[in-house]
Amino acid sequence: MIDFHTHTPLWTSASWLGGAGFDADDFVRFMDAVGISRAVVLSHDGLFHSTPEANDAVAGFVGKHPGRLVGFGTYSPRRPEALAEIERSFAELGLRGLKLHPWLQGFSMHEQVLDPIMEIVAAHGGILLCHDGTPPYSTAGQIAALARRHPRVPVVLGHAGLHDLWRESLHFTQETENLYLCICGTPPYAAARILDRAPAHKVLFGTDAGLSDKASQDYAVARVLEIDEWGITEAQKRAMLVDNPARLLDGAA
Amino acid sequence: MNTLVVDAHVRIGQHREAALSVEALLAAMDRTGVDRAVVAPSEAQIAYDNRAGNAATTQAARATGGRLVAYAVANPWRGAAALDELAWAHEQGARALAVDSALQGFDLLDGLVDPLVRFAAEHRWPVYVRTGTPPGHLPLPTAALARRFPEVAFVMGRSGATDFWIDAAPALRHAPNLYGDTSYAPWDTVLGEFARDPEIGTSRLVFSSDQPYATAVGEMRRMRDWLLPAHERAAVLGTTMAGLLGLEKEPPA
Repeated sequence: MIDFHTHTPLWTSASWLGGAGFDADDFVRFMDAVGISRAVVLSHDGLFHSTPEANDAVAGFVGKHPGRLVGFGTYSPRRPEALAEIERSFAELGLRGLKLHPWLQGFSMHEQVLDPIMEIVAAHGGILLCHDGTPPYSTAGQIAALARRHPRVPVVLGHAGLHDLWRESLHFTQETENLYLCICGTPPYAAARILDRAPAHKVLFGTDAGLSDKASQDYAVARVLEIDEWGITEAQKRAMLVDNPARLLDGAA
Repeated sequence: MNTLVVDAHVRIGQHREAALSVEALLAAMDRTGVDRAVVAPSEAQIAYDNRAGNAATTQAARATGGRLVAYAVANPWRGAAALDELAWAHEQGARALAVDSALQGFDLLDGLVDPLVRFAAEHRWPVYVRTGTPPGHLPLPTAALARRFPEVAFVMGRSGATDFWIDAAPALRHAPNLYGDTSYAPWDTVLGEFARDPEIGTSRLVFSSDQPYATAVGEMRRMRDWLLPAHERAAVLGTTMAGLLGLEKEPPA
C-alpha cells in the first residue's frame, strides 16, 4: 500500500493543529503498523513559511528511509527565489514532487508565476500535488486549468474535493488527462462514487498522516481501516492503493 | 446610445432584502436607456413557488408588449413536475431558463438540472446560471455544465463576482457556449481582461443590471464609461443577448 498524502511534523511553525513530534523511525513504525509500504511525505513548515531550510528538513526526513519515504518540497511561488529553490529541491535534494497549498500560501492557480515553476517540475519528471476542496483558491477547476497548460506534469488533487467539492474534483479528473485525485479526508460515500466513476488509473489514497497529536497517527490508521467499509471491489482497492501510486511514482505499470 | 439595449437579468418581486416592481423596473429602463429586460421572479418563487414565479414573469411580459422577456423557473428537485412547470411557462410565453443552485439546493454537476437544460435545448432557450461563491455555483462548474450541452447558450450570471472573477476567464475559455454577464464587474479590470483575451472577447459578454441587487444607473454608467468600438459596445449592450433570445427577428417591443 502506498500512502500518497502524509506530512512531516511541524518543526518550526505554529498551526491551529496541535501535532506531535516524531522522527522518521517513528513514522515508519506507524506505516508498518497499518501496512503502508511507502508514503509520499509533504512539507509541513514550508506551507506556512517557505524557506530552503524547510525543504532541507523534508529531504533529511525521507533520507532516513529512502526506500519507504518519497519527499515533496514546497515553496511560495510568488517569492523571487522560488524558481531557484524549487530547482534545487529536485536537482540537489532529490525531492520527487512539489506540494502547493494555494489558500495557505496565498495565491491563485491562474497566476503566471506558476508556469515556469511547472516547467521545472516537468523537466525533472516530477509531480505536483495541490491542496483542493477548499474555496476560494483550491478548487479542482482552478487546478485543472493549470494542469491543462502543463500536460506533461501529473497533477494530483490532494483531497479529491473533500466534503463539498468532490463532484467538481471527479468531473475535472474525468476530463483532464493529466489530473489525478487522492482520496484523503473525502467522505466514504464520495470515495465510493469516485472509484466508480473516475478513470480507474487515476485514483490514489492518502491518510494525511503527520497532523496527529500522537506519533502513532491514530486517525490515519483509522482512515486506512475504514477503506474496507466503503463497499469497493478488490480490484478498485488494489488500483488505488498499489498500482496507481506505483505507476505515478515509478513510471511503470 | 443609439443601439438596442437588452438587460440580460433582473429579478422582479419581493426578495429577502430587496424588491423590484414591474413599474419600477420600467421606469429604471426608461431612465437608463434600456429597451428590453429579461426578468426572473423572486427568490422564493425561484426556490419553491415556481408557478407563482412563472405567472409573474410571463404576465409581466404580456403586460409590457414583450418589452420584458420572461425567464422560466422550476426547482429541479421536483423531477417530472419541474418539466411540466417549464412546459406551462413556455405556453405562457417564457423564453429562457434561469437556475440558481444556491437557492434551489442542488449542485450544478449532480445531474438534477440536466433534464431542465434539455428542455431548454429543445426550445432553443438560453440558460442563466447564477454564479458566485462556493459551494455549488462557481464559474468553472458552470462551464462544465455548459460543456455537457454545447448546443445551449449559458449566461454566467454575475461572472463569479467577486472573489471568483478570477475563475470567470478560464471558464469562458473552457466552454465556448458560455457568456459572461457584466454586473458588478469593473471594466478597467475584469471586463477589460475578458475583452483583451483572444479566446473570449466582447462577443462573449452580455450586459446585466442584476436589479434589484445592483442599481440600474450604476451598472449602465459603467457601461457608458467603458470605451469600446461601436460594434463591440452594441454587442455587449444588446445584440448578443437579443440573438440568444431570438429577439432580433422581431420588431421592437
